[in-house]
Amino acid sequence: MTMSRLGAQPAEVIDRAATLSFRWNGKRFRGFEGDTIASALAAAGEHVFSRSMKYHRPRGILTADYWDPNLMVQVGDDPNVRAGHRLLEAGMDVRPQNVWPSLHRDIKAANSLVGRFLTAGFYYKTFMRPAWLWPTYERVLATFAPGGKIDLDTPHRYHDKRYLHPDVVVAGAGPAGIEAALAAAGAGARVLLVEHEDKVGGHLRYSSSDSAQAALAELRAALEASDVEVLTDSTVTGRYEDNWLGIVQRNHPIAVERLIKARAKVLVAAPGLIERPYVFSGNDRPGVVTSGAARRLINLWGVKPGERAVVFTANSEGDAAAADLDRVGVEVAAVIDGREGKRVSSAQGSSRALEAVAAGGNRIEADLLVVAAGWTAPTSLLNMAGDRPVYDAAAARFFPSDPPGNVLATGGLAGDGSLDELRAHGSATGRLAAQRAAAVAHRLQARTARARPVDGDEPSWAPDERTPLGRDPHPELYRSDTHGMVDLSEDVGSKDLVAAAREGYDSVELAKRYTTATMGPSQGKLETVNTVAAIAEARGETIAQVGTTVWRPPYAPLTLGALAGRVFEPVRVSSIHPWHEANGVSTILAGQWIRPDHYGDPAAEVRNVRTNVGLIDVTPLGKLDLRGPDIPKLLNLLYTNKWSKLPVGKVRYGMMCAEDGVVLDDGVTGRLGEDHYLMTTTSSGAGGVWEWVENWLQTERPDWKVHVTPVTTAYVSINVAGPKARELVGRVTEGVDLSPESFPYMEVRLATVAGVAGCFMWRIGFTGELSFEIHAPSGHGLHVWEALMDAGQDLGVGPFGLEGQRIMRLEKGHFIVGQDTDGLTLGPSTGLGPLIKLDKDDFAGKPELAWAADRPLPMIVAIQPDDPNMVPDEASQIVRGDTNEILGRITSSRMSPTLGRSICLGQVEPELAAGGTKLTVLLTSGERIGATVMDHHAHFDPAGERLRG
Amino acid sequence: MLLVPCPHCGPRNSSDLRYGGESHPRPDPATATPQQWRGYLYLRDNPADWLRENWYCRSGCRRWFTVERNTATNEFRNPPMPGDKRGGKA
Amino acid sequence: MAESPAFESPVVRSYETAESGALMLSDGSATTKWLVRGSFDGAVADRLAAPFGSSRVTEGGALVLGSRPGEWIILGATNAVAEVVAGLDGLDSSEFVTALDWTHGRALFQVTGTDAPQMLEKVCSLDWSDAMTPDGAVASASVAKVTCDIARCDADSTPTYMIFCDRSFGQYLFDALIDAGDEFGLAVGLPGG
Repeated sequence: MTMSRLGAQPAEVIDRAATLSFRWNGKRFRGFEGDTIASALAAAGEHVFSRSMKYHRPRGILTADYWDPNLMVQVGDDPNVRAGHRLLEAGMDVRPQNVWPSLHRDIKAANSLVGRFLTAGFYYKTFMRPAWLWPTYERVLATFAPGGKIDLDTPHRYHDKRYLHPDVVVAGAGPAGIEAALAAAGAGARVLLVEHEDKVGGHLRYSSSDSAQAALAELRAALEASDVEVLTDSTVTGRYEDNWLGIVQRNHPIAVERLIKARAKVLVAAPGLIERPYVFSGNDRPGVVTSGAARRLINLWGVKPGERAVVFTANSEGDAAAADLDRVGVEVAAVIDGREGKRVSSAQGSSRALEAVAAGGNRIEADLLVVAAGWTAPTSLLNMAGDRPVYDAAAARFFPSDPPGNVLATGGLAGDGSLDELRAHGSATGRLAAQRAAAVAHRLQARTARARPVDGDEPSWAPDERTPLGRDPHPELYRSDTHGMVDLSEDVGSKDLVAAAREGYDSVELAKRYTTATMGPSQGKLETVNTVAAIAEARGETIAQVGTTVWRPPYAPLTLGALAGRVFEPVRVSSIHPWHEANGVSTILAGQWIRPDHYGDPAAEVRNVRTNVGLIDVTPLGKLDLRGPDIPKLLNLLYTNKWSKLPVGKVRYGMMCAEDGVVLDDGVTGRLGEDHYLMTTTSSGAGGVWEWVENWLQTERPDWKVHVTPVTTAYVSINVAGPKARELVGRVTEGVDLSPESFPYMEVRLATVAGVAGCFMWRIGFTGELSFEIHAPSGHGLHVWEALMDAGQDLGVGPFGLEGQRIMRLEKGHFIVGQDTDGLTLGPSTGLGPLIKLDKDDFAGKPELAWAADRPLPMIVAIQPDDPNMVPDEASQIVRGDTNEILGRITSSRMSPTLGRSICLGQVEPELAAGGTKLTVLLTSGERIGATVMDHHAHFDPAGERLRG
Repeated sequence: MLLVPCPHCGPRNSSDLRYGGESHPRPDPATATPQQWRGYLYLRDNPADWLRENWYCRSGCRRWFTVERNTATNEFRNPPMPGDKRGGKA
Repeated sequence: MAESPAFESPVVRSYETAESGALMLSDGSATTKWLVRGSFDGAVADRLAAPFGSSRVTEGGALVLGSRPGEWIILGATNAVAEVVAGLDGLDSSEFVTALDWTHGRALFQVTGTDAPQMLEKVCSLDWSDAMTPDGAVASASVAKVTCDIARCDADSTPTYMIFCDRSFGQYLFDALIDAGDEFGLAVGLPGG
């Protein structure tokens, strides 16, 4: 097969004045603007583009479009590019895939000599045992796997995302699709027309007839003049619930790809038909092409596909291909007419000297075998809408059965007809789509609170009164009298499918998975029906009896980049963040918060807090503003302890358990006024607790008068901790007597701090030191922080981060929900059993906690390793002696700068919870160390004297 | 993506909401047996049929609501919505 | 809160600003904002006269947003907002009503321009058409994965949107909006614009 560029063709899309230079397989080539990669290479005489997946057989052009399984190439760092679809660009570095060591001398082609070993289910059968060889198998198989190379250094490229709410989306811009879009837009609908190829027109594009070209020009002009939004080189990749569509747009000027998520009121599926290969011996040889490929090469790109052709045709498209070939000077050596019962039986010989053998043994020498054996209806979008297409033997293809009313099919998917009939059907479909879309739009607008009021009643649901398209008879041509390739992407032959059926995998869904037929890059578009036909034949049944596989999204493969879209990774910072950044902070991402972890030396930060005074930015602490007379009732319900008698100005600690008794969250809540409280939650629990509280109030206690407002970021929260905290806070605070007598531990005051009114502060502390937690309005948070820093220079004030705080809280033995507790930790396991007041009428989780009170539970305990220098990793197991019987685990561990030894919290079985119990800790290294359970959770200052000072 | 009929906002993408699961009344904690309580916690009917279920309009009006959905067809019924003559609020 | 220290915006990065442009993004976080809660349909709802999903400008020039059922955001000049909030006192002693100053809790950005709906399409799944989100509409939705309250209040029939989010997300959201507006030539306006 030698190709070359023809003289100007009437329908060609190339600009012969614009030459583009590119590289293929390391060599320099030239093509024209408007070429695809494949057409440029074909014009230059290239005939082998890839090696097949398993047998590494040479492969050439088959369909010359997106679905061509043989035209997967690497372009620069972009793998799996469809060379039959991707337009040529100057400077492209195109390389073949799946070839080693080279395209033309492929060592793995030896696989085709031992092909009998690679039968159906080969991988399942061969690489099963022994299991310990799996890593080796994987490594070897990976080098044989198809697909391009992923360059891990590829920069992250800009992928875009857009949401749309069109009235009508038309998938496919052939003549019927364009007419549907025009008619819908003419009826006032907002229409999006999505075309897979880079230009609209469908099959009209590669017809050289004057009438087709005139119709195409007319349709294009009408589109230009309309309000239809046209997306070319774009694909409707999926249809989901309520006509939610994924659309990938590949030619957007600002992005590599743009993913559009569209809520279409009506979807019109007009994808046209896909030409089906024919199964016979040698059907995958270079030189065997579909009629569509021949016509596209000639008419779109002016490429002569061969010198001497045999045409096997069973339909008018095949006839047109023969006419095109003849017109451009390709010698048509023979036309084998499938409608007369004639068949092509095999293609033999090398790729440049093909010998077509007709059934009966007539041999014809040629370099091109054009096959027009019938159509696959790509019913994917209808499948995704729940439709189950039915097979029509007389027309030899599947047709839609009963899609939902907001999904309409037109064009070749719906039937056959003259161009005028197809256009009329498209137009009627567009009008129907617009009518139904108007009804949906009316309903949505009428029911949406924010929408403009809508006049009148909802339009009635328009009945489908379209004149149905006919169905042209077509011979059922699936396999000839020889066996051949069914799935060219996956190298699955008809023999493999027959073998699979014999082994019992005779349902199409099983055979598909067993042989991997239809599971490759073509995703069934070329090979599904042939697969079904092979299984039907093996079972001695009809195609209708076997049925087809269900096409699922995506319609066409799409990149991970397109799916990821633009990067939306929200992060939160406190108002003090600029100060942290200017002062050498190391941050940690906690939830969505960027938080100070430390400022260089967390141990030094701890020592400074224990001896002087430190500031920590604890803004992410969850804060809920509670207002209303029924707050005590609400707190009694949410927390395990009692809240009825909390006086104004007091703060109390509480633990929340879920309805299953498992610890949910903890924190302090203070009473700021008669009917005004502030609840704090853990930083990570802030969002969840808020929703939980709303759920209680809205669904279980709707009569209670409480309003909850999240104010986490309305305030910055600064904990001032250390022996000199009172001195420091006193220097910037007005209106509050900070003496221990008038402002003792666990109380709250409203104050003006650093000139900022409306701050409140409470005396609590996770660090175990004297501490004042100041909550200042966020718009002045940085100012308050800087004022504290300035005022405390002579006191040795310094910042401390999350790590320092975690060390100090561990020194004090405070557990962290989610760190020291897990999804099974019941309330009493925390050691806070006395805070669970079972004499309250009701609270969240009460029944479970009541039942738990009677049985021994794993407990959180403080643990110290016998070797003070040994810090066991968190999650190290606590085991029984030399056995591997697990009795608990270390949940938190650190070296304590204050005590100069390692300290831990852990969860242990009930019988190990008593102080003094000796434990064995199994380290991650496998070493076992001794450790001791402590009498108190607090490793440091168990009496809490510093805190209350 | 499912359109969920929020009784306050109107139809919204399901990703705007949090699914609250089957709607079961909370047993009286004073009298509930372990079987009753754990049925409330863990046991779901999971019918392929009409189901009363809870949703939380997380990105929208932040209201919890109960609707009936046919789990086999994803059809909703009886959610009074804004504009509904059945009594949703405008 | 308008006392001594200046209000610190959540937007702390510096940008090249412009006084005008076809598509403008401005930071209005310092604007006084109050949150009022009451019954879905009581005396407060009647007085505020902005049902859920809609908005209204008071005679004093404050903007009342029906942000949720039984919930309103009042924003504008501090005096105008205070006047509206004060006017709710004692309307109906049986109605449970609360109000809190939310100025520091919420960042507020304004996007204005003919292309503003197309820009918002890139970050939010709501339908921005005039029928579904007309001038005066109020909604809550995820914007670039941050839950926001959004109010459309056109300026001289140019589509204009106010977007509120938790203050701590302010810098992130501001940058996400700049990114979304880039293809439309978005310009950053002066704060308070």
